Amino acid sequence: MATASITNPYQGPLKGDNEFAKITDNVARIMEAPKPPRAWYIGMGFALLLLSIFGASLGYVAWEGIGVWGHVHPVAWGFPIVNFVFWVGIGHAGTLISAILFLLRQNWRTAINRFAEAMTIFAVICAATFPGVHIGRPWLPYWMFPIPNQMQMWPQFRSPLEWDVFAVGTYATVSILFWFMGMIPDFATFRDRSTSTVRRMAYGILALGWRGSSRQWHRYERAYLLLAALATPLVLSVHSVVSFDFATSQLPGWHTTIFPPYFVAGAIFGGFAMVLVLAIPAREFFGLKRIITMKHLELMAKVILGTGMLVGYAYAMEMFIAWYSGAMFEQFAFVNRAFGNYAWSYWTMIFCNVMAPQVFWFKKMRTNIWVIFFISILVNVGMWFERFVIICTSLTRDFLPANWGDFIPTGVDYATLGGSFGLFFTLFLLFCRYLPMVAMAEMKAFIPEGHAHDDDHH
Amino acid sequence: MSDDKKQDKKPTKKPARARLDANGDLIQLSDEAGSVSNTALVVGVAGIAAAVALSGGPMTKQFQHSYLTAYMWALSISVGGVWWVTLQHLFGSRASVVMRRAGEIIGASVWVMAILALPLLVPALVMHSNALFPWVNHEYMHSNHVLHAKAGYFNSSFVAARMVLYFGAWIFIANFWLKKSLEQEKTSGDVGFYKRLQGNSAPAMIVFALVVTFCAMDFMMSLDPIWFSTIFGVYYFATCVLTFHSVLVLTLMWLQKTGHIKKSVTAEHYHDLGKMMFAFTAFWTYICFSQFMLIWYANIPEETHWFLMRMEGTWQDASELLVLTHFVIPFFGMMSRSMKRHAGPLRFWAFYVLAVCWFDMYWLIAPNLHKEGMVFTLSDLAAWIGMMGMVAFGIIVGAKKVPLIATGDPRLKRALAFENI
Amino acid sequence: MTMITTESERDKDMTDHDSQAKAPLHGILAEYDTPTAVVKASKKVRDAGYTRWDTYTPFPIHGIEKAMGIKMTRLPWIVICAALLGLTTATVLQWWTNAVDYRWIVSGKPFWSWPANVPIMFELTVLFSAFATLGGMLFLNNLPLLAHPLDLKERFRRVSDDRFFLLIRARDAQFDEEETRKLLLETAPVVLDDVQEDRTTSAQIPRPLIYVAVLAVGLSIVPFALFAKARASTMEEGRRHLVWDMDFTPSYKAQSFNPLFEDGRSMRKPPSGTVAQGHLNADDHLHLGKLPGGGWATALPREIESSAQTMELGQVKFETYCTPCHGYAGEGNGMVHQRATALKQGWVPPTNLLEERLYYQPAGELFNTITHGIRNMPGYASQLDAEERWAVILYLRALQESRKTPASKLTAEERGQLK
Repeated sequence: MATASITNPYQGPLKGDNEFAKITDNVARIMEAPKPPRAWYIGMGFALLLLSIFGASLGYVAWEGIGVWGHVHPVAWGFPIVNFVFWVGIGHAGTLISAILFLLRQNWRTAINRFAEAMTIFAVICAATFPGVHIGRPWLPYWMFPIPNQMQMWPQFRSPLEWDVFAVGTYATVSILFWFMGMIPDFATFRDRSTSTVRRMAYGILALGWRGSSRQWHRYERAYLLLAALATPLVLSVHSVVSFDFATSQLPGWHTTIFPPYFVAGAIFGGFAMVLVLAIPAREFFGLKRIITMKHLELMAKVILGTGMLVGYAYAMEMFIAWYSGAMFEQFAFVNRAFGNYAWSYWTMIFCNVMAPQVFWFKKMRTNIWVIFFISILVNVGMWFERFVIICTSLTRDFLPANWGDFIPTGVDYATLGGSFGLFFTLFLLFCRYLPMVAMAEMKAFIPEGHAHDDDHH
Repeated sequence: MSDDKKQDKKPTKKPARARLDANGDLIQLSDEAGSVSNTALVVGVAGIAAAVALSGGPMTKQFQHSYLTAYMWALSISVGGVWWVTLQHLFGSRASVVMRRAGEIIGASVWVMAILALPLLVPALVMHSNALFPWVNHEYMHSNHVLHAKAGYFNSSFVAARMVLYFGAWIFIANFWLKKSLEQEKTSGDVGFYKRLQGNSAPAMIVFALVVTFCAMDFMMSLDPIWFSTIFGVYYFATCVLTFHSVLVLTLMWLQKTGHIKKSVTAEHYHDLGKMMFAFTAFWTYICFSQFMLIWYANIPEETHWFLMRMEGTWQDASELLVLTHFVIPFFGMMSRSMKRHAGPLRFWAFYVLAVCWFDMYWLIAPNLHKEGMVFTLSDLAAWIGMMGMVAFGIIVGAKKVPLIATGDPRLKRALAFENI
Repeated sequence: MTMITTESERDKDMTDHDSQAKAPLHGILAEYDTPTAVVKASKKVRDAGYTRWDTYTPFPIHGIEKAMGIKMTRLPWIVICAALLGLTTATVLQWWTNAVDYRWIVSGKPFWSWPANVPIMFELTVLFSAFATLGGMLFLNNLPLLAHPLDLKERFRRVSDDRFFLLIRARDAQFDEEETRKLLLETAPVVLDDVQEDRTTSAQIPRPLIYVAVLAVGLSIVPFALFAKARASTMEEGRRHLVWDMDFTPSYKAQSFNPLFEDGRSMRKPPSGTVAQGHLNADDHLHLGKLPGGGWATALPREIESSAQTMELGQVKFETYCTPCHGYAGEGNGMVHQRATALKQGWVPPTNLLEERLYYQPAGELFNTITHGIRNMPGYASQLDAEERWAVILYLRALQESRKTPASKLTAEERGQLK
């Protein structure tokens, strides 16, 4: 290991004479270092650039109207909704890692759950901007909420779009609550290590005065279990509700009963890929290789392979039933996807989602950092294209040939898509710098030293 | 249950099998317990014969529908076992190792189901009776263009070939796990052994997913050949998980009650199984609701008629009853932690879940026979009892031949000491 | 292992020495460096019968709850109440707003559409439960608790890092300085120390924070006050328009110039291939007089009944449209012909419809002539629809047949009518 250099203050040896102290030091020094690593600045610069593009394009859209996007009849839902579903999907992996892996007692999650949860929240923020701006009159989103208004009207609760408001809103809220609650003990650590008063007060307020009392831990652990038990069906429901946006319609390619679990599996699939895309540089530049080990990366690669197979199963089911149903519109929809005007997007999706992850069958592949990173990017691309194929391609060719029309995205569409990554990365990099990136308390509980050996027990 | 009495009765002519070192548990099925399999078989045969008699013959519509209902219920148990064992290997799960042999035994009993499929398949495929499956009828399948398109899929030879494939796959996978698990006992805690099994479990899972989907579609979705639902395979899969876990709970309880593995399987393990029963009750509800709500919402006649059938006359009451009994009651009933850790409540809920899963199968199948309203016949009950006997028979017969715990697995120690959250 | 704090370590305490030094004892604090030690110590303390004591650890230690005798928390009950409240709220909200207060039919769904209401019922159940979980946990844990006597111990800062502490409160019924200290020494802590009550930190919320809170509350009321004012009063001026483009969309009249389109027209043609309803005219026999395999049709299309009604219709239409040129008998001597002949300006006479050629001409070709016209004759497609044209042809065939019918075939009465 190289000695600590200016560009990388986190590669030095860890302080602490026991494993607990080492974990604390490994994570806390990221916040305490006077300057973050150079890679952070580069990343932040890039992220801020994209963020300004995002702001500019959204401002332009609000000013000129959504006609500056490529929306055209019949493709009334274009990039904004594709982006929305894409970002919400990415968020799901965080909750899976936090909540579902917790319930399954997969303790390896403690290395990555904190920043996966952070990723969830930032992804949901990115996602939420899209329904907000694509409604055409972005100064009226309050109409979506059941607030008494001057027209004495209420939102239409029979619409899946309204369900989305509640689902994504609940998901954002619960994720923030869960994330915050998880960070309370770690804020206490930061507070207790702080040297400056400002830092001590800031982290002190956030820590709410946590001192690690076991009686408090007991209730805390119960609460954690309850939130995990609540978050699990919640995450299944959120992407199911998002899938209802499409499945409740009658459009071939949209209306099919397998959408809810299919979307959830796809969300987890894409989300894990994004976790990897973030974890691999983060562990490198923030010196977290001891915590986020090759084993974690390999396990995540396996999850990607597994959820990719679930997604593949859903593709196969859709195609089989399209044939089985004998419904010509349904059959045409699938033939069109594969061989019509947008066939290139379909095959990109198949390649990235079904074929690319197959390399993870081979141990050599799933233990090679570059391969994992590259395949993860492909999976993210593939999942974006899956939403594009489902949403846009199906709309271009519906029941009436007279109603057919092609969709051509505009520059503003691309700027908004790329810019949303700016929002995501900016928030994420800020999180890395100022908040506890790893769940220190949880990790300590699961290392061998954390177990109390009881002689009279066994 | 005094252990001593049972051990006194054990015949001395058989050499004592290896006991579990740490616990001194009995892991070889006692002859007494094993003899229950004969009773089970008698009950099985008698039940099915009674169903035949009560419905007026094996080729009658009533018998075929009653039998299919009971059959799909019973099949879900061993199929659930195949899935569960595959899953435990896939996740490298440690806590379940102590129960895995029981799961393997249950999964391996799928061979009984393969044979029991004959009363359904022979009339349909060989004798071309459309008492059960409308697609046997040529004229019907060519009466409109939608059916005509899939008539080839329901060609008798093709269906038969698929059935062979389904049961072949399940029997192969189930026996593979059992065989490997037994082989493991001869290895001395070789970690590489179970790592390789983990590698095998992934393709096994893929095959399983496809087989259970198409089997459910062939047996049940095809009862209404016009209707279709992409989530149907997942729906049946949820039932498989539920019935399997209930049967696993009951099997382990029965084994413990009859003097075996008393100390090895603890409240912690039952807690885990109870959690799965609870979770998959919620999962079943999610799948069932998704299917219903999407079809209700889009209101497309090709799809809605299936649900409309289940809303005519007393079928409406049946549907409401299904929601109440399969979701509301077990969801609240199985929520508490203590329910999962005490034998009495857990046993009750295991029986309850099994009963309600049968009702679900009935709700899927019977509207094709009784179109005006829900009708329970004695033949339904007899077929169900018969299948219960067959399920028990398959499990106990399988349990006779093998040790009841996978002693060769190096993770066993952790599993025995396992404590729940 | 050092057991008692030294003078120098006491000096490190963050205290105001004078008032703090005289503070009463809060409790005795033992410090350990492994989880096992603190769990063992907990068992001893629990067994000795103490009730007002606690352990402090950087992470929850598995097994310490049993070792300390901590009872299961009531938090799940709080959460389930919140869950039921959430479920009820969602149900009543959706029912009242969509089925009672403002009812409107949406895609034919009933006002109270419970399947459509389930997703939100679920979401609100979870949302309320989550708030109750976190809020309940914080409430039961007495958090936020920003001041505590333990904060005065410098060493205690390691509680969130790698050290484990056990504190027995002086308020405990069994507390006795010597006995308690002896008990704790038996557990072999790394450090044993006294904790004094906190006499330095004020229990009051700092002034600036109060000002900020009051300001925040005040500011947050402002929007609601504005809403209330707006609801209670009327405006003289019209609505404020922030987005003129949307509030005053330019509208174009059908005949006016439109800069938005290349051809400048406001009125747009329907897309190519558009067919008006009822005008698909797919049947070639009916609409063109042609047979599917090619060639002219010779019979009436199947839509046209060969009946007295059709004949009458044909007669009416023939007499209206055809007779001006072709005459009542169809011989070509209608009024137009007579007039044109009288003018002697060069005139091609209308065809005699009764001639042999036309007798044998296929009906479809006749139809085509009527539809499209021929030579001087205009097409009559705009005056006669397809059925009417076929009716005319039926009548025409009757006329042609009548010319060929010998008198011997007539009845006596009919012969009497002949001139």
